[in-house]
Amino acid sequence: MANPKILIVDDDPDLRQALRLRLRANQYDTVHAVDGYSAIALAYKETPNLIILDLGLPAGDGFVVLDRLQKDDKLSTIPVIVLTAREPQGNEQRTLQAGAVAFFQKPADNTELLDVIRATLPKPAPAAGLPC
Amino acid sequence: MNSDSTHILLIEDNPGDADLVRLRLVESKCPVDVSCVNRLSDGLASLTRKSPSVVLLDLNLPDSQGAETFRKVLEKAPGVPVVILSGQDDEALAVRALHQGVQDYLVKGTITSGGLDRAMRYAVERQALLRSLEMSRKQQLEFKNQFLSHVSHELRTPLTCIHQFTSLLFDGLAGEINPEQRDHLGTILKSVNQLGAMVRDLLEASRAESGKIRIEPRCVSIVDLIRLAVTMVQATAREKQVGLEIGVDTRIPFVYGDPDRILEVLINLIDNGIKFTPSGGSVAVQACLVETDPEFVYLSVADTGSGISPEAKALIFERLYQDPNAVDNSRKGLGLGLFISRELVGLHGGRIWVATELGHGSTFSFTLPLFSLAKLLFPVATYQGQLRDAIVLVKVELTPRSKPRRGNWKDICQRCLETLQRCVYLDKDLVLPPMATSGPDQTFFVVASTDLDRVNIMTTRICEQLEKVSDLAANGKVELSAAAVTLPDSGQNYSLEQQVQEVANSVTEMARLAVRPQQNFTRKQKAHVHG
Repeated sequence: MANPKILIVDDDPDLRQALRLRLRANQYDTVHAVDGYSAIALAYKETPNLIILDLGLPAGDGFVVLDRLQKDDKLSTIPVIVLTAREPQGNEQRTLQAGAVAFFQKPADNTELLDVIRATLPKPAPAAGLPC
Repeated sequence: MNSDSTHILLIEDNPGDADLVRLRLVESKCPVDVSCVNRLSDGLASLTRKSPSVVLLDLNLPDSQGAETFRKVLEKAPGVPVVILSGQDDEALAVRALHQGVQDYLVKGTITSGGLDRAMRYAVERQALLRSLEMSRKQQLEFKNQFLSHVSHELRTPLTCIHQFTSLLFDGLAGEINPEQRDHLGTILKSVNQLGAMVRDLLEASRAESGKIRIEPRCVSIVDLIRLAVTMVQATAREKQVGLEIGVDTRIPFVYGDPDRILEVLINLIDNGIKFTPSGGSVAVQACLVETDPEFVYLSVADTGSGISPEAKALIFERLYQDPNAVDNSRKGLGLGLFISRELVGLHGGRIWVATELGHGSTFSFTLPLFSLAKLLFPVATYQGQLRDAIVLVKVELTPRSKPRRGNWKDICQRCLETLQRCVYLDKDLVLPPMATSGPDQTFFVVASTDLDRVNIMTTRICEQLEKVSDLAANGKVELSAAAVTLPDSGQNYSLEQQVQEVANSVTEMARLAVRPQQNFTRKQKAHVHG
C-alpha cells in the first residue's frame, strides 16, 4: 500500500523542508505549496490524504484556502490541520469553525502533531508495519 | 468664548444668582445662549436632549444637595465640562469636586465678567485636553499590544525553524549522533523551549494588562487538576532532584473556574518552587477548605528554598520584578509569571499571596471560588420544605469519532448542552454546568427529581432532541445512563440545608467518578511542559 500523501502549505522554505523530513521519517509522502493559490491547485491535482496549512500566506491566506476547500465537493473531505505562528486566541476557534480538524501554534510539539495526523488519516494496512 | 454656538446650561435655583450670572455673561460680550433650569432633574433631562458647551452648576438645589449634585451631572454627561457656582461656605466642597472631574469653580459674589469668561474657556479647553490625553493613552496601549503581538509572531518563525531542525538532529533523523552531541542538542532544545515560553508570557502579560484575557469557567475538580500539574512538572523536578508532594483533601467540591488558566497558575508556582529549591529539597502542593471562608478553596505551593527577603516580598507580584538576591541556578525568566498568575487568580475572584522567611522557604497561596452545587440544587431537590423522595443523576456522554470529520466538535457540544437545557423542567430538574474534561469527550449531567423507573421519560426525550442536533450524529456518539442518588436519612437532627448539602456531596462524588480520569493532556495544557 502506498504511503499516505500530505500537502504542506507554508511560505517559509526552511519550515517546509523540516516538516518534509519529519513526515518522511514517519512514512508519509509530501507535496508542497508556497501560497494559497497553488495550494488549491495542488490539492486538485494530487488529492492528498491530509493538508497541513499555514495561515499567513501570499495569494490567498489560510482562511481563504479553508473556505475554498470547504466549498468544493471533491476537496471538502480532505482533513486540514492548521499550523501557524499566529495566536490561538481567536484564530483557533475561527479555523475550527471554518472546517479544520486541529490547530497548532508554531513551534508545535512533533509528537502531538504526529498523533493528530495518525488519528486523522485512514488506518494504513497492517502489513505496512509503520514505526512511530 | 469664541464659538458662535456656545451653549451654556445654567443649573441654579436662586433667581437672583441666575440673573447675576446672565448679566455677567452679557457684560463679557460673548456670543452665548443660556438655558436656565432650577432643578437638578430638569438639568439632567436637558443634558440628555442636548450636550451644552459647558455646565454652570449650583450645588444646593431643591432636589439635590452637595456632592450628590455634581456626581449626578458628571455621571450623566462625563464629556461635558462643569464649572461649579459655589457659595462662600462650601468652597471646600467645590475643591473636592475638582478631584472628581469638575473643571473649575467660582465663588458667588466674587464673580466678574472676565473671571466667568475665563473660567468657562478654561473648562472647555481643559476638558478637550483631558479627552485627547485619554485617547492617546488608549492608542499607545493599543499600539503596544499590536507591537507585542507582531513581534511575538515574527519571533515564532525562526524559533520554529531552530526547534524543528534541532529536533530532527536530536531524534537521529539526519544521521546517527553520539551521546555528547545528543547532550548538546538537548541543551539547545531546552533553551529554545524557554525562549518560546518567554514569547508567550510577553504576550500574555500585555493582554492581562489591557484586560483582554477571558476566562471560561466550568466545574473543575481541583484535585485532578493538581495531580495533572504535578505530573507535568515531574520531569523538571526529577532532573533537579527536588521532591514533589501532594496533600489534598479529596472531599473538596468542584471549583468554578477555567481549568487551563488554573493549571497555568499551578504550573507557574510549582515551577518557581522547583527553581528556587536546592537539590534534595521539596515542593508541596496542597489544597484545603478553611472554615472561616467557606466559599473558597485554599491552594498552596510550599518550597524548602532560600525564602524571599521582605523587600522582594513586597514587589514579587509586580510585572518584570526579579529578586536580585535570589539564588537561581537555571536561567531567569522575564519576571512575568507571578504577575500573570495574580491577574488570572483575580479574574476568578480569588486572591494570591506569599508567606516567606529568609532561609525558611516560601509558601505561595491562592484562593478559588467553590462551585456550590447545594445552592443550585436547593430549589429542585426540595418540595414543600422537604427533600424529594427520589433523585436520579443522568449522565449524557458525548464521544467524538476517532477520525475527526469537518465541523467543530466544541461547537456541537455547546449546542447539545443548550438542547439539554430545553429538555428539562426548570422547577424539578437541573443541568449541571459543564465538567472540565481533558480530552475531546464531553460529559453533561442532569439532576432529575424522579426515580429510576420513570427517568426514561426524560432520557427518551433527551435522545429524541439530541438526534436533531446537526452534525452530532456524523461526528460522534451519545451515551445516556442514569443512576439513583443516595438520599440522606430524613433524621430529625438534619436541617433541610444539610440534607441538600448531603445530596450535593453525593452528586459531586458520582459525577467525579463518572468522568474518565484526566490522563491525556490537551495540547494547550501540555504546551506548559516546555515552559
